[in-house]
Amino acid sequence: GRRSTSLQNKSALFSCVTGPKEIHSHENWSLSAEEFEIWNRLYRLKESDGVKEPILPQIQFETLENLEETSKPEEEGTHKLSLSEWSIWQNRPFPTSMVDHSDRCYHFISVMEMIELMRHEQGDCSYELELQPHLRIEDVNVQRNKSLLSMTKST
Amino acid sequence: MEATGDEQRVLLEQRLRAAVHYTAGCLCQDVAEDKGMRFSKQAIAAIAEITFRQCENFARDLEMFARHAKRSTVTTEDVKLLARRSNSLLKYITQKSEELTSNTMEQKEKKKKKSSAAKGGRTSEEQEAPVSESEDSSMA
Repeated sequence: GRRSTSLQNKSALFSCVTGPKEIHSHENWSLSAEEFEIWNRLYRLKESDGVKEPILPQIQFETLENLEETSKPEEEGTHKLSLSEWSIWQNRPFPTSMVDHSDRCYHFISVMEMIELMRHEQGDCSYELELQPHLRIEDVNVQRNKSLLSMTKST
Repeated sequence: MEATGDEQRVLLEQRLRAAVHYTAGCLCQDVAEDKGMRFSKQAIAAIAEITFRQCENFARDLEMFARHAKRSTVTTEDVKLLARRSNSLLKYITQKSEELTSNTMEQKEKKKKKSSAAKGGRTSEEQEAPVSESEDSSMA
């Protein structure tokens, strides 16, 4: 949701800076000379800005062979955008503009809330205690792990 | 009537949650042994709940993908689509899917031979069991 909002703001900014009469000059995919000048002056990050270039973290699968292109290794001058730095803010829906939160997003919020509630639990887990009476052994694959069964029994 | 329907739904949900939680615990145990570390019960519970909810995302997407292809039956093609965003994941799932189809073909071949050789429905039942099991695990 946030990405589309910022894109929208940017294009709104562009159209109000350039004005309607110049619209016909960018039939190309690339920026026109005027647009480039505006981008260069107002938005482009330069050394002198003292701000690190923002980059998105790349996906890495711990349990799979990684095929994704590993671009430049950990550049010093970049700011890797974090999706977990503000996790304590994430147990409630953030405001929206044009795009509503998705079900997927609400699931995420709920799990963050669940984690928050379990944060101070010591030892026994309320989730486990609540679900244990509902476990039907025919629903699960028991042979593949005997050690866990004994572990669950002992606790 | 409606209240009991809701109640049954909640009970079924808790039953499924419990099964997912148990299985997540088994899988975490494997990882823990592999990496020489421990998972707290709370960590396993959180992973289990994420998995349970992720199933809803998957189910909804799979239904839509099948409908997009004018099918009412979800197939392996839809499952592959779930993994479209990552090359690594897509390759892995595609390989599993191919293994599965070749296994199923082999099983069918064997079944044909056996049923023509030995008489009796017992053998064919036994033949089918491993196939459906591996199909289940691919959906998880």
